[in-house]
Amino acid sequence: MSAGMSAAAGAAPGAAPGTATGTATGSGRVGDSPRRVGGHDRVTGLQRYVADLHLPDELHARLVTVPVARARIVTIDASAAERVPGFRFVMTAADLPQPMPRFGPQFRDRPVIAVGETKYHGDPVAAVAADTRDAAEEAAGLVRVDYEELPAAFTVAAALDPAAPLVQDPSLRPNDPLVGTNVLREHRVGWGDVEAAVADLVVEQRYTFPMVTHFAIEPHAYIVAPDGDGIAVWSSIQHPNWLQKVLAELLRLPLSKVRVHSPDPGGGFGGKQHTKYEPLVAFMALRAGRPVRLVLTLEETFQAVRRAAAEVRVRTGFQSDGTLAFQDIEANYLIGAYADIADRVVGKGSYPGCGPYRVPAARILARSVLSHTVPSTAFRGFGNPQVNWAVESNLDEGARALGIDRLELRLRNLARPGEAFIPFDTPCDGQWEQSVRRAAELIGWGRPLPAGHGLGIAVGIKSGPTTGLSYATVRLLVDGSVIVFAGTSDMGQGARTVFAQIAADELGAPLDAVTVVMGDTAIVPYDQQTSASRSTVLMGNAVLAACREIQGKLRAMAARLHGLDEATVMVDRGVVRLPERELTILEVLVPGLGRLGGELIGNGEMRKDAEPDHPLGGSAAFFEFNCTAVEAAVDEETGDVTLVHYATVSDVGKAINPLQVRMQDEGAAIQGLGHTLMEHYIFDESGRIRNLGAIDYRIPTSLDLPLEIVSEHVENEDGPGPYGSKGMSEGALLCVASAVGAAVRDATGVAIRDLPLTPERVWRALQERP
Amino acid sequence: MHAFSYERPATLARAVALLEAHGPEARVLAGGTDLIIRLRDGSLAPTVVVDLKRIAELEPGIREADGRLVIGATTVMTDIAADARIRRRFEALAEAAAVVGSVQIRNRATLGGNICNASPAADTAPALLVHGAVVVIAGPSGSRRIPIDGWFVRSGVTTLGRGELVTAIELPLPAAPMGSVHLRRTRRRGHDLASVTLCCGVDASGVTRLAYGSVGPRPVLAVDATGVLADRDAAPDARTGLLERMLAEATPSARSMRASPDYRLAMLRVLARRGVDIATARLAAAEGRR
Amino acid sequence: MSGRIPIQVTVNGRARAFEVAAHHTLLEVLRDDLQLTGTKECCLVGECGACTVRLDGRIVDSCLVLAVEADGGEVTTVEGLASDGRLSRLQGAFLDEGAVQCGFCIPGQIVAADDLLRRVARPTVGEIQEGLAGNLCRCACYGQITAAVAAAAAAEAGAR
Ligand SMILES: Cc1cc2nc3c(=O)[nH]c(=O)nc-3n(C[C@H](O)[C@H](O)[C@H](O)COP(=O)(O)OP(=O)(O)OC[C@H]3O[C@@H](n4cnc5c(N)ncnc54)[C@H](O)[C@@H]3O)c2cc1C
Repeated sequence: MSAGMSAAAGAAPGAAPGTATGTATGSGRVGDSPRRVGGHDRVTGLQRYVADLHLPDELHARLVTVPVARARIVTIDASAAERVPGFRFVMTAADLPQPMPRFGPQFRDRPVIAVGETKYHGDPVAAVAADTRDAAEEAAGLVRVDYEELPAAFTVAAALDPAAPLVQDPSLRPNDPLVGTNVLREHRVGWGDVEAAVADLVVEQRYTFPMVTHFAIEPHAYIVAPDGDGIAVWSSIQHPNWLQKVLAELLRLPLSKVRVHSPDPGGGFGGKQHTKYEPLVAFMALRAGRPVRLVLTLEETFQAVRRAAAEVRVRTGFQSDGTLAFQDIEANYLIGAYADIADRVVGKGSYPGCGPYRVPAARILARSVLSHTVPSTAFRGFGNPQVNWAVESNLDEGARALGIDRLELRLRNLARPGEAFIPFDTPCDGQWEQSVRRAAELIGWGRPLPAGHGLGIAVGIKSGPTTGLSYATVRLLVDGSVIVFAGTSDMGQGARTVFAQIAADELGAPLDAVTVVMGDTAIVPYDQQTSASRSTVLMGNAVLAACREIQGKLRAMAARLHGLDEATVMVDRGVVRLPERELTILEVLVPGLGRLGGELIGNGEMRKDAEPDHPLGGSAAFFEFNCTAVEAAVDEETGDVTLVHYATVSDVGKAINPLQVRMQDEGAAIQGLGHTLMEHYIFDESGRIRNLGAIDYRIPTSLDLPLEIVSEHVENEDGPGPYGSKGMSEGALLCVASAVGAAVRDATGVAIRDLPLTPERVWRALQERP
Repeated sequence: MHAFSYERPATLARAVALLEAHGPEARVLAGGTDLIIRLRDGSLAPTVVVDLKRIAELEPGIREADGRLVIGATTVMTDIAADARIRRRFEALAEAAAVVGSVQIRNRATLGGNICNASPAADTAPALLVHGAVVVIAGPSGSRRIPIDGWFVRSGVTTLGRGELVTAIELPLPAAPMGSVHLRRTRRRGHDLASVTLCCGVDASGVTRLAYGSVGPRPVLAVDATGVLADRDAAPDARTGLLERMLAEATPSARSMRASPDYRLAMLRVLARRGVDIATARLAAAEGRR
Repeated sequence: MSGRIPIQVTVNGRARAFEVAAHHTLLEVLRDDLQLTGTKECCLVGECGACTVRLDGRIVDSCLVLAVEADGGEVTTVEGLASDGRLSRLQGAFLDEGAVQCGFCIPGQIVAADDLLRRVARPTVGEIQEGLAGNLCRCACYGQITAAVAAAAAAEAGAR
């Protein structure tokens, strides 16, 4: 096993100083960084996303909403809409099967369309179908909805108030002890005895994390067409197979009659996980007997997906030498009006809340608090950044109070390889200290700084997938080219490239002779989902297994052709080794297949079964680990924060494609700067989103980057994926806020416990500085 | 977007006639960077859109005439920011034009559109106030000119009458050098609508002109003719007091989500102090060059 | 003029004559009428730049331009940048530097970057960041995009 660090590629000549870049290199074997597979179509505009597809005879759908969060729907009058030329029909709750079909990955609480009342700003009460987009838009604007605004809850405090209106209809969860409250679920984990733990210092603080949205540049798009005795669906979704199951159940169709096409999404980040408007469009298409398309506006995506906000109270016990005595964490996540996958986000995101540290006693209580806001869902980091912000910031408070260096305090408590830092889970599976030391070194930890500058360092950890099931089929064609069938969605993370590299390497094919087919449930075998940074590990292993099955067939073939005992033949990374000599794969394949040609087919399966007694239903397949270190400069007059240096180091086990690893880490870091520095929903008193759209919801641009950003990764080949890889791409987002917040604190002497750290918020904190 | 009819007059007279005939039902289209957004969101629904970009008399361009720099109303920000005369003589205006939106926006956004849209946050407004711009208007009864100080009424409203449109913005060429600067506050470094805009101009006689926007219904101009503000040797208290009086007309709205009133007011003071310093330094540099 | 208006536009070097609705934007017409779907639709308020095209030598957000405004003009979309299926230097650099993740913003980025390089042969980092600030990338490949533009400029200079 090769231990150690991969070197950061130096800045390319002429490249931005501080934008350390890797350049595509190599033939495309594992460990190379070839140009991304599918890249050609992405730079030429040929890549077809869902909205770029059109079916003959299609109708255009448009949603109708009301400008408040919670309202009783009194009447829906479409008579004016009906007069619009090209209008076809309007779909309301009354037009759907009774009782209203409901769906949801955890709780079947979400109706196909609002029934009786709306529960958040943007909850559709009707949808119009028309011949043209113009007609659909005009008609939707003419649908008159009479509604009566109802009391609603938009904050944790309001939702937890015993007098708060209930968000969820109690009949949806009979026999649930929490049914009379807005708490959907409580998650408790812990070990040791927090009450009995003795500490020299206890630090208790409360932190908040804002509500933010995914803002994928591709707005969600859906097309559903009646297809024989079933339906065909096109959706920019991260898991076609799950969507297939949901639609089959709702429409009472066999799985085989629901064909889901999922062209590569234009950015997902978790927001394209889980069914949203596909059921509505499917019912419309079946009613019309024609294809129906719905392309959301960016504003509508804000009303479809977001990250849960959170209020986190942390009580940390320290010994005087900085050793942790206990962690006591209470996290209230503000989820939306329908559960979506939010409660899993809460449970799984809060679970490693104590971080990668040795903590003798821990108590974590996390609540999923329903509110009359947009349903929150998976979002890169999956509930971890919220608690990380609180817990890592609290560690800094403790270190300062004890007079211990903040890096030193972290190193002192960091779990060592093999250590069961969460007693009932996968032990520490990396040399995490390497990442921490490297990040500190990159930022120049401990060096003297100019006035107004400060340093911050933080670590993040996330539990990888707890269950998984991925199948892959690989076909080695007679000319040595390869087709890989893998149900992962390549939404930018580069899964297509990684699978192609694995197949190319294992089967000795040039990378450009490998085709990876994804995104069609009628053709591609089952994959559970593209989430939790799983695909390189889980689907990667399935692809590898499929290649190995082909290699087995090649061994048998070679043995047959050369009259050898199979046990003496080896196939290894594209080469067939006979006792006396080596052959290329083609030298075996072509004669082996014979005159009729044909192909070799391999199937791979990667299964990680549930563990019913585990608090999360399964232990972590791996941990994503990252350390981020930042130098910030603060303008005390304005509150402006400038990130002068930024270093992010992730433990990835093995970088199958180092350039893609860097792209993921830097992308995650900058995405994290969004919720750290500028992003948040703003509501009015009716729960209407005021900054709905790109003008007033600000995300980072090319001018909002750190002045210098360096990313590196640690490779010890100690992961469960192919060649020792681990999942990555969320890690570098986990502790962005914590590291930046710590640097701002260091620069100003003021701890700010609410995000985002807008200039105004920083300025205000400085005004209040004693 | 609602349907409307599109007119592309070839002459100013025809444009004025169309605007007069349709009154509030007609909307002028210049670069469209404000208008098209409002057509799409439905907050404006004209039946006629009158495109100014094919009118012979309204060719974009910047020229000198009679001691004035005449900027055609349809001149886009890209060209204003790049114009050597503007950069030398009206630096703040060049700076303001250079921060309007992105390259794509600046390639379309016109100076006429910026002042006719009359957003309190319009970036060019403070610079035009400081540099004493005059708005040239064509209308049914011919042409008229009004100082920019009398142009803005409140958000979205100007003194433009029925059938009128702006044909040019004129800037008197200063006899003596002036140092000027445009500063703004935004929520991120990337392009953004400003939560405070400020322009400061200091001339050789020591007169300081401060104009600021986004802190009230219309941009405000305040002038210090005493020379105290620009005088680095003046008593700090005197300068502070003067500055306070000059900024007194700022009345930011509590309804905006871009920044709170107290932050805006505090930032206005920061920008004003910085603006005076930069403008004074620029004046000194300009005088040094002479 | 209302109803359908006849216009003539040279799109990617090809003169075309067709009719458009007055209220349709250049973006809608490119995507829906001309099937040039490389130009993307996202924010529709000129913030994201996904719909960037070059119109008469300058880049614009095609969501904020009426199609009729392009009458008599020349439009270049991302589809017009590769010649005979061969990637431009810039397109190649985007792939080499790892500037492409999901790809949705990339057509707009490349049209904007191409425009920048037409105006400034060897842009500084600051000029690249400013020149592309009107193109949002949520995968946040900004560092890689900057590197790609710089690399393409360097390669172009080397080739001259
Ligand atoms: C993404 C984005 C970012 C922006 N950033 C900024 C910014 O940073 N700073 C800033 O100040 N603005 C900004 N704007 C607003 C806008 O770009 C400017 O106000 C621009 O100058 C408007 O000019 P236009 O030619 O596009 O006007 P149009 O949209 O064509 O017109 C605007 C209004 O003025 C009227 N009008 C235009 N020209 C005339 C005329 N000659 N006579 C009479 N009436 C006329 C129109 O009828 C309309 O009501 C931004 C806009 C966008 C979309």
